[in-house]
Amino acid sequence: MTRTLLRGGRVIDPANPAAPQQRDLAVRDGRIVEPIAGEQHDEVVDASGCVVMAGGIDLHTHIGGGKVNLARMLMAQDHRAGAEPIALPANRLQLASCGTCTPGTLATGYRYVEMGYTAAFEPAMVASNARHAHMEMGDVPVLDHGAYVMLGNDELFLQMLAEGGRDNRNFAQLRDYTGWTINAAKAMGVKVVNPGGISAFKFNQRKLDVNEPHAHWQVTPRQVVHTLARALHELGVPHPLHIHGSNLGVAGNIASTLETIDALEGLPAHLTHVQFHAYGSEGVKKFSSAALQLAEAVNAHPEISIDVGQIMFGQTVTASGDTMRQHANSGLANPRKWVGGDIEAVAGCGVVPFRYREQSYVNALQWAIGLEIFLLVRNPWQVVLTTDHPNGGPFTSYPHLIRLLMDRSFREEQLARIHPDVAANCALRSIARELTLEEIAIMTRAAPARLLGLHDRGRLSTGAAADIAVYRDAPNREAMFTTPEFVFKDGVCVARAGKITALPVGGTHFVEPGYDSAIEKRLRRHWQDHAAINFDHVAIGNDELCTCCNGGRLLPTACFAPAA
Amino acid sequence: MTPSEAANAADVADARPWTCPFCPLACDHLGVRLGGLGEAPTLTGGVCERASLALRRCAAPFPGAAATPAQVDAQPCDTATAIAAAAQLLAKSRQPLLAGLGTDVAGARALYRLACATGAVCDAAAGDALMHGLRALQDRGQFTTTLAEARTRADVVVFVGGLPGALAPLTALRCGIGDAQVAQRHVVLLGPGADAARQVSELAQLAAPGVTIDSIALSGDLFSSVALLAALVAQRTVRDPPEALRALAQRLRSARYAVLVGTPARLPTHGALIVETLHAVVDQLNRTTRAAALWIGGGNGAATVNQVFTWLSGLPLRSRAGPRGLEHEPVAFGAQRLLDDGAADALLWVSSFDSDVTSGAPPATDLPLVVLGPPALAPTCRRPGSVFISVATPGIDSRGHVFRTDGTVLMPLRALRESGLPTVADVATRILDALNEEQAK
Repeated sequence: MTRTLLRGGRVIDPANPAAPQQRDLAVRDGRIVEPIAGEQHDEVVDASGCVVMAGGIDLHTHIGGGKVNLARMLMAQDHRAGAEPIALPANRLQLASCGTCTPGTLATGYRYVEMGYTAAFEPAMVASNARHAHMEMGDVPVLDHGAYVMLGNDELFLQMLAEGGRDNRNFAQLRDYTGWTINAAKAMGVKVVNPGGISAFKFNQRKLDVNEPHAHWQVTPRQVVHTLARALHELGVPHPLHIHGSNLGVAGNIASTLETIDALEGLPAHLTHVQFHAYGSEGVKKFSSAALQLAEAVNAHPEISIDVGQIMFGQTVTASGDTMRQHANSGLANPRKWVGGDIEAVAGCGVVPFRYREQSYVNALQWAIGLEIFLLVRNPWQVVLTTDHPNGGPFTSYPHLIRLLMDRSFREEQLARIHPDVAANCALRSIARELTLEEIAIMTRAAPARLLGLHDRGRLSTGAAADIAVYRDAPNREAMFTTPEFVFKDGVCVARAGKITALPVGGTHFVEPGYDSAIEKRLRRHWQDHAAINFDHVAIGNDELCTCCNGGRLLPTACFAPAA
Repeated sequence: MTPSEAANAADVADARPWTCPFCPLACDHLGVRLGGLGEAPTLTGGVCERASLALRRCAAPFPGAAATPAQVDAQPCDTATAIAAAAQLLAKSRQPLLAGLGTDVAGARALYRLACATGAVCDAAAGDALMHGLRALQDRGQFTTTLAEARTRADVVVFVGGLPGALAPLTALRCGIGDAQVAQRHVVLLGPGADAARQVSELAQLAAPGVTIDSIALSGDLFSSVALLAALVAQRTVRDPPEALRALAQRLRSARYAVLVGTPARLPTHGALIVETLHAVVDQLNRTTRAAALWIGGGNGAATVNQVFTWLSGLPLRSRAGPRGLEHEPVAFGAQRLLDDGAADALLWVSSFDSDVTSGAPPATDLPLVVLGPPALAPTCRRPGSVFISVATPGIDSRGHVFRTDGTVLMPLRALRESGLPTVADVATRILDALNEEQAK
């Protein structure tokens, strides 16, 4: 039994607002416990002058699976220092692993832990690639992890949707197929990417608006979004439908984003990397910020949550399931190369390198739009801090982003460096709001935990997992959030002053919604006729998941009582 | 399992699906019959020469008459002794070469740790073929497709350089030539070589109704033919183009979904240029219609280990965590090149799938040598200065995972029998432990 006491810290725990900020935290066997006066501790950590938060939770970060590994292969130049090799880690606990915008899984774990993060979720797991995704996540040390499986572009789903007609006569089948897929892929939720559009691109359709029919199946993205959101709601999956909307990156796409919210008809959903979906078409360049419109919609819909997908200036690579949009953007690739793929009649992928430049009007505006969204949405519980790693920028830029949000004068310094037309005219200039530590703790811990249904993470109340980050309070929030004094994972000290001290294997989060197994008869027939793998090989069992994830703990999250 | 239980369990066809680990296609639609003691498993439910040949080499030893688990300097010994000897051999090496890399995900995970500890250069047995694709990807990218897409969508399939043949015998079947998912399919053999008639007949036997077959001879070599095709598809001016290529370009442009199937292992030295040119054809077609490439290769663990090393380290094979740091050299770190140049001073060879004494054997070398392979490879490693350790073949003796040729599906492998052989992961981990002890002395 190990006991640790964190003494004298300022505890920022928004999920537990009644507790006093100035309090000691006691940890026993990986859990937060009530401190008992006079109790002996194996270790007493002096947290005076420090801010204590739950471990960070990244709810949308591309850390593992086919397209991430393709990005690593594509971005070989990111993995060397000019002509020089990448220095080996000085810390003997660590193995060689490199990369900035697409780091190896080992480096991914090291860098997240060094920043005080203790969980990360891969948002775009292709069902047919699920084993691979779990393998990679299992090789991300320390972090707990999970993934959202992609649906809504698989031919079977679209075919069933078409068969059901406008009034969704076969909804129960679609719901059961969704439930089966989540179980088979050991997923934490479901993501839809360019609803119907990835499939449509395989039929040579180049654009798909929310109310436009798919060239082959004649169903609309609106139907796809609504059906999936309803299915997850009825299955009781805690994380609502994770939506990468239609027309990513297209000027004027705010219309699609608002139509997508409309399609939900009040069902809960999470709109991801909304920065890429909040563009107007005003002005001389026909490209403008629609952050205000988006924020108003989010403010008016408490059942909607978002993550921002902030862009950061510099080299990165965009890795997406959205083959249709990535093909369209491939001409902008920098360097000029890209990877695309059609995958197993279920999904697609597109990997396009990007260099976001301060002096580019479009990039500067994208940067401003992201920050505007953060600052214009009123309720921080609806917002999660992300860069859509690596699409907007690498996750290692989070401390910089936090400073931009917490420090107006720093923000204005950065504004002065970007394209002058954007700097002079953007709404960001006049936004005075500075996020508080509480708001940052919500956006990086408490809100993602709540949105994922993790009741014992993202908080520091008694009984919660002892995933803890201890930051030295400093006016320079970037420095503060770059190197916590201590990081604990399930009560084990995993980093101290930026140095990794232990590398336990993280656990795997997933959900197990119930469904009517009669659907498997149809699925078996479909696999026989259309797939390239034996149906009996599709589902991942618990033992196999454990092997994939390097023996880490399995962390099934409870579903809520089905709404039906 | 006692011998009598084993005898009872044997010689029954197993109803559970089995993934064949012996070629890049990792088929799981065929079955396997275990056979009695001392007999090899046999393929059921279909025909595949490669699988049958590989299975014939997997005869289960009689209990009690098991093959030597290991040998050091050609002398039989137990596995622990051989592991200690392997660790000593690697501890003395200043630049080891970790090659062959015929293993599954678990083996690759363990070998990466060993590679980091020893600073070994790592390359797969078919490293040259792997690098054709990888270098083209690094330079220009790619647009690829997968077996299920080809099966359900491709209305034109071009086998560039002909069918992959013995490398992946069921490729045409897995691309859907034999089923009726697509009503009209046109199949083209581009440059099948001397074997053209046999390949056409193979396709004709397989073809479902609605499939038409064409064979086109090369105009010059494969590179010049593909370059010419690229020019024609892009509608650039080509003087007196060969009619067959002109018609193929036209057919590709009017296809709904064309798939160009290629085999990197069959490409000449500068094969990356051919890969890149085929990708240019695909890119051009994707401006107006749909097309994609499908590469058949990466078997014997090559693609699997490349994927695992890439995700762990950020860099693909032909890399090392050497004294100067983590570095990747797709040409200079070729295993054969290093051996030819005398740039390595020890070789650790892993071949857990290929037990053929020719193709599965380590390259000829006088260097201190460690081989991890099925018992059948023991004769390839019988000399002073060598260590041989028997390991399980994933999919036969142990469970495991390998990537299918299209790189997006990680296939589960299951154990057909209890052979008691350690896995590559077990042995690599024990060598590393022994090495750490050695270095701590």
